[in-house]
Parts: sequence; C-alpha cells; structure tokens
Amino acid sequence: MIGQKKLTERLERVLGQSKADQTEIVYVGNESGLTRYANSYIHQNVFESNNRILFRSVLGKRIGVASTNSLALPDLRKTLADSIEIARQRPENPEFPGLPKPARYKDVDTFDDKTAAFTPRDRAKAVKQVITAAKRKKFTVAGSFATGSSEIAVLNSLGVRAYQPLTSASISMIAMSDDSSGYASSTARRVDDIDVASLTGVAVEKCDRSRNPREVEPGEYEVILEPAAISEMLEWLNYVGLGSKPFLQKTSFLAGKIGRKITSDKITLYDNGLDSRSNAFPFDFEGVPKRKVVFVDKGVARGVVYDRAAALKAKKKSTGHALTPDESSEGAFGLNIFMAPGKTPKAKMISAVKRGILITRFHYINGLIDPRNSVLTGMTRDGTFLIENGEIVSGIKNLRFTDSFTRAFKSTIAVSKETERIESWWSAVGCMTVPTVHLGSFKFSGKTEF
Amino acid sequence: MKDKLKTCVEWLRSKGVDYADCRLVRRETESLRVTDAHVDSMSRDLDVGVGMRVLSRGAWGFAATASLSMAELKKTANKALQIARASAMTTSEPVVMAEQEAYVDSYTTPFKTDPFEVAADRKITLLLEASEVLKKPKKIKTVEASMDFYRTHKLFVSTEGAQIEQDIMESGAGYNAVSFDGKEAQRRSYPNSFGGDFATSGYEFIEGMELVENAERVREEAIALLKAAPCPDTKTTIIIAGPQMALQVHESCGHPIELDRVLGTEISLAGGSFLTIDKLNKLKYGSDIVNITADATTPGGLGTFGFDDEGVKAQRTPIVKDGRFVGYLTSRETAPVIGQRSNGTMRADGWNRLPIIRMTNINLEPGTWKLDDLIADTPNGIFFDLNKSWSIDDKRLNFQFGAECAWEIKKGKLGQMLKNPVYTGITPEFWNSCDAVCDDKHWHVWGVPNCGKGEPMQSAHVAHGTSPARFQNVKVGVSK
Repeated sequence: MIGQKKLTERLERVLGQSKADQTEIVYVGNESGLTRYANSYIHQNVFESNNRILFRSVLGKRIGVASTNSLALPDLRKTLADSIEIARQRPENPEFPGLPKPARYKDVDTFDDKTAAFTPRDRAKAVKQVITAAKRKKFTVAGSFATGSSEIAVLNSLGVRAYQPLTSASISMIAMSDDSSGYASSTARRVDDIDVASLTGVAVEKCDRSRNPREVEPGEYEVILEPAAISEMLEWLNYVGLGSKPFLQKTSFLAGKIGRKITSDKITLYDNGLDSRSNAFPFDFEGVPKRKVVFVDKGVARGVVYDRAAALKAKKKSTGHALTPDESSEGAFGLNIFMAPGKTPKAKMISAVKRGILITRFHYINGLIDPRNSVLTGMTRDGTFLIENGEIVSGIKNLRFTDSFTRAFKSTIAVSKETERIESWWSAVGCMTVPTVHLGSFKFSGKTEF
Repeated sequence: MKDKLKTCVEWLRSKGVDYADCRLVRRETESLRVTDAHVDSMSRDLDVGVGMRVLSRGAWGFAATASLSMAELKKTANKALQIARASAMTTSEPVVMAEQEAYVDSYTTPFKTDPFEVAADRKITLLLEASEVLKKPKKIKTVEASMDFYRTHKLFVSTEGAQIEQDIMESGAGYNAVSFDGKEAQRRSYPNSFGGDFATSGYEFIEGMELVENAERVREEAIALLKAAPCPDTKTTIIIAGPQMALQVHESCGHPIELDRVLGTEISLAGGSFLTIDKLNKLKYGSDIVNITADATTPGGLGTFGFDDEGVKAQRTPIVKDGRFVGYLTSRETAPVIGQRSNGTMRADGWNRLPIIRMTNINLEPGTWKLDDLIADTPNGIFFDLNKSWSIDDKRLNFQFGAECAWEIKKGKLGQMLKNPVYTGITPEFWNSCDAVCDDKHWHVWGVPNCGKGEPMQSAHVAHGTSPARFQNVKVGVSK
C-alpha cells in the first residue's frame, strides 16, 4: 500500500506538467496472493505486487491513452507524453463528451487491515482445514483462496480527486469422490467474513449426497437454481445485455423492451456499487460517482448502465459505470449486480417441488447464441440433484441447458429471502449478490457421461 | 538486468532450494479501436516486471514484482521462498521435475515490418476504409474494427544455468458489422470473430489480410442474415469452415490434452479432462483421417516461440495419429507422470503470472479434399462458418458450438443461408464421424489471442492450423 497522500502527490506532480487541454490519470495498484489447491495439496501459491497507471490526454476532441506499470517519475512523464502524442496522431472523436468535473463520493468502508495483512501461511492453514475435513469422508478437494489489497485513484485536470483503498478475500472449493462432487464459494471485503468450516461442510455434503448419480433425460423441468448458478447466468447476461454497448447496438435483450414485462414480477435486477452487501466501490474509472441502476423492476425492463460517452450518445447521464480508458470501447459495465431477494426461506424451497432438479452451479455458460432473446447454454456441475415430492432423492449426471433467460424467468415460482455474495470476473471492485430461485420451467437440451 | 536475475537465483541457491527460476518480461501493447467509422480508442501500454518461481521442500512458491531495483528483487525472491515453505504444509509427495538441458540461447520472431514503427495514420486509414464500406447501408447498425500489436522481451535465468532471451512480435486485426431491422440483430465478422486473426508476425500480416476487399461481402452477409431461415433441428452431415474448425480443435482437443488438467490441477476453474492417462495410445479419438499435432514451431503461428517459460525448447508433438490419441501437452512437473520429458508448453501471461501448461499451435493436419469437391460430394447437410458461441462440459465431452452463419447444402451445392446455427456432440463420437478434411491449399493457422485458463486468470496466445472438414450424423439446431 502506498497510501492516499503519497500516491496523490506523485500523480499530481505529473498531472500538473501536462500540456494537453484535459488530462486524466487512473491508478490501479494491488498486492495480492492466491493459494490454489488440488488433489488435496497446494500446487500453486502466488503473490503479486503491481501498479497500472493510465493517462488519457485530450486535445480538442482527440484522445490518446497510454499506460505503464512503473511509478518512477521519468516513466510517468514519458507515458504522459506518449498519450499526448497518440492524441495528436489520431482523428477527432465527435462523440467524446470531455472529462468529468469534480464530484462528492459516498463514504463506503472497503478496507480491512487483517485482510491486507493475511499471509500465505494464513491461507495455507485455512486450506489445510478444508483438506482435513474432506479427508474424513475420504474425499479430495480442489479450489483456491485469494486475499489482497488494492488502491484505486482517479485524478483529472478539471479537479476530480477520487481515491479508495480496497481489500478482498475469495474462496472456492470442490469436494470430490470417484463419481460425485460438491461446490461451495464465498467472497467478502473482510477475510473474517468467510466461514471456511461452514463452506467446507456444504461442499462435502453435496459431494456425499450426489454419489451414485442417476441419469435423467433432457427435457423441461422445474428447477431450483442456487446462488452460484444464478450468478453465472447473470455474468453472461451482464456482458450481452446490461451494458450500454449491447443496448445501443440493439443486440441486448433489453433493447426495444424498456417498459415492457420481460420476466415474472418476482424478478428485480439492479446494479448498486454503493450497497455494502456487495463488494462495494463508490466511483467508476472516470471518477464519476456510482448510482443505483435498475435493469428489471418486478419483471419490467427499465434500463442499462452508462459511462459518459455512451450517455451522450443515448442522451442520458452517466451512471458511474465506466471501465478504464483503454477499455472504453467496451462501453459501461455493471460491477455490483444484485437480484433482489424474495420472501421464501431457502430451506422451504425444495419442499415445494414435486419433480425437479436442483442446480448448484453451471460450467462454461455462453450467451452469444441469440443475445436479443437472452438465450444461454451451459452445463450443470458439482452438485446436481433430482427432487421428488419435496425431497432430494439422488444426485444426477450433468445436463446441458439451452434456454432463454426471459422465457425461463417468466415461470418464477419463488425467490429466496436469503442472498449470497458470489465472486465475479471483477472481484476487487465488485461481485454478484443473488438469491436462490425456483423456476417452473427450464429447458435441458443434452446430457453428458458423468 | 541479467546480472540482477542471476544474483537472485544465486541467493535462492544459497538458501538450499530444490530449484528456482527468474523471468523478466517487458511487454509493449498497441491497440486501435474504430467504431462506426471513427477512432474510438487508441492506446499503448508498457508492462515490465519480474516473476520468480521457487521449488523448496518439494513445494512451489511464486512471487512477482513490478519494481526492478535489486532491493525489491531480493525481497521478492525471499517472498517466493517463504510462499514455497507455506505450500509445503500440505505436501505429501514432493514435486519431481523432468531432466532438462540448461540452454544458453536466444530466439526472435522473424518479421518484415515492425508494426510499432508503422505510422498511426496508415493503420487508422486502413481500418476507416474498411469501416466506411461496412457502414454504408442503413441496416448496418454498428461497425467495429480493431488492430492489436504486442512486442514481448523475455529473459529467463534458472538455478540449473539456463539463460534464454526471446523477442516475440505479434500482430492482429479484424472487424465485425451488426445488422438490425427493427426486430432482429445479426453479426458478421472478418477474418474471424472476436478480434479477427493474429500471428507472430509484423505489419505485413495485416497488409495481407484483404480487410477492405472483403468488407462488402461481410456487410451483405450481415444484412442477408436478418432474413435468413432459422437453422433446422435435425441430425445431418455438416462441413465446418476453417475458423470454426479452429474453435472445435481448441475446445475439444487443445484443452483436454493439457496434462495438468488431466491430473486434476485445473479442476477448480475450468474442470478436468476425459483424456485420462489410461487412454494414452489406446483411445480411438477420431477416425483414421484425423491427425492432430501440437507444434510450437509452426511459422507465423500465434503459439510459436523459441522456448517455453521453464526453458524447454519449442517442439512438434503428435497428439492424434491416424485417429489414435498419442500425446499430451506436458511440463517438467507433469511429464514424469507418464514417463516422458517435457514437450515445452509452460507459458505465463506476463511476468506476474505463474507458467502453466498452455496450448501452442494445435493443428489439424490437412487432408486431401478440395472444398468445392467436398461440398459437391455432400447430398444434404449444413456448412458452418465463423464461431459465435461456445460451451463444453468440465471434462470436455459434451459441446455445443454456435456459428455466425451457415448455409444449407442440397444436392452437392450451397443453398439458402441459415441464421443462429448451432451444432452439438460428444467429443470422441464427433471426431470419429469425421470423413473428410480439406487439403493444404485450404489450410490456415488461426491465431487465438484470448485463451483463458488458471487462477488468477491468464490469457494465452495460441493458434490452430485447420482446413474445412466434414462430419456425419451431427445434431444441429438445438437453440430453441
């Protein structure tokens, strides 16, 4: 950790020397460790200390972006000069809205000293606990345990000064027998919020209950989708439908449907970077404060997230969802996605299913088949169960689903009142916070051999 | 820098480690993005640092730093050592590495024109020209065009005495057009989807791509897709074009032959493999005409290099020979499990990542058919072009792949266009149904710059030499 004062002083020295009309500096630094285990031993154990400093220089409507991972002043000055030179070389972008003005940010607690100081030995002790618990059932385990700290800062020549220190901790585990497996995971800002023993219990129990899996035929089933499964679906839906780029390109399943009912009224989807039930983060990579954005409100399509460039194009305001300037062509992206909880206790959901399938998680979902119709495909994995007359009767061999999200979620029967925080592709600055969902109809298109 | 790395390696040796290596990587990147015929983003990145891998008490530790000062490097070496000792808390069997010659050598990608020296104006003009052709009609909603260049310098030093320097140049470009008629949106790309095509090459690779020349066809196909018939649900004969074959090889052969995955060490993220060790030299993976090779020496391949990131020389290894499964991608740690030496596939996504087994150029060797003859020889079927979606189970058996575009084959001729085409299968059944592969005139090495694996996630640059191939009795059209 460099600290706000030292980091800001250094970056301001370079910012003050810029000859561009407008200049922005984005800093992302991290010290992170990840312990990976498989076959019940640690096989990869890594630590990284890195920085990324991105300069966006503006000459009229010409923009140049250059970045470095060196904080040395001569390297920072050279990178600034490179960004100005790139801006000179390129044509104007008529759709560039200029850099944002200063703003106030919500005070969000995102840093935990213990998590920042967590050592490889601490992680190894936790992993040993997982291994030992699984061994009692003669299961092997595989997974990862990551802890780290980051600093993110955005400064610009119009006076934006945003800084936030962050910590995060994420664990995943798969308990395995010869013919079954069970999964559990968690993510948090504070490592103490991760209950390793309880998660291990879940993974081991799922592995145990899914032994001697039956084979069921593909077709249409009632399903219970646990939070990891919901999260994996939402990651893809976010990519193909909830950002400004697919919405403006008309490939999003929300395009042309704003104000129309697209799912059951039990479904509400939104992004909120200010809600501490997520891995919250108060501003985006342009230094714009995050705002809550509702995608689907009680089944009705409402909108998508925007950065400043997309907002100008759509005649909207930025919602504080810009990516780093080198990724700006990807448009805005929601990093703190929520599916709102319902009223049903999770423990009572299985008992409401006459004949159906419980899905712990999915593998290798893809949402590019027909994104306007929110068609997704993927495989079940690590804990798929047959439910009959309100009880889990056995594990089943894995199935492939191919279905439209909006079609399937029109059949929502219940949403759990409990939610879980699930690690996403961007865990340092966000995560998914989602419930368990009971659907009346979900289509499986194929099966596999295990 | 070499002296600094040698000092670190010597210090680690003095601490009694079983093995250690230090790897400096300096990577420059240039990216150009053109959206709707204006330059959306133009950026350059410089990323430099050192990663250190230590094997101590039979267990691994890895630490990496962006600082190149001697003090910080020594601190990082000590960190890697302490991490290895923490890893040893759970080890029952110490890691054993295959024997390896300690090379003192260098490698440089052959290229004609350094893309970093080509004027920005020239690159922008090319992308704008193609974009202008694509964007003309109203039904084209969005056009995206891009170019990416990578220049990577690597320095590798090990406790065994290896000292290897490599300079690798990579270039790539491509575009896509999204058509929209008020109800439906369709995308068509060139020369491949998801960023185009890439090679270890200079700017001459971009100039040979015929970007502008193909723009009109791509535009018209994107518009035609709006009115195309939906892909039927049926079982039929399919012919898969070269770029889609690259994806087919990547997912159903490239990943399941990674020996670390086979041994279970990738299960936590992307799963395992059906190609377990008992199947080596026994399983009939495909029909007799299926020959697949892992070749890190293929000229221009995006998976081409001189040495991998543990100092093993680039090699050409048979994977499937006359349909039989005969080889894995291996590392110094995994190869002894099958009684072999490493075939040199350990690569890291930069200085701050641990080397893991990655695909090189996993090539489907050319067959004997001309594409026109193959289509003429197919009474009924579907021709699939360019990948759109991909999904496969966690042992790489059940797959479902979608293409941007397909055409019906009727009485040996291409017929009407089909939209949202999807085909699905079980890997060995599918490859055993392969009854024709086109010849070397149709063979091209497709660069894939975004192969994901590992935790933390690593994106590898790999490639697949393929030509169109035909498969029988395949289930298609399962997207409804």
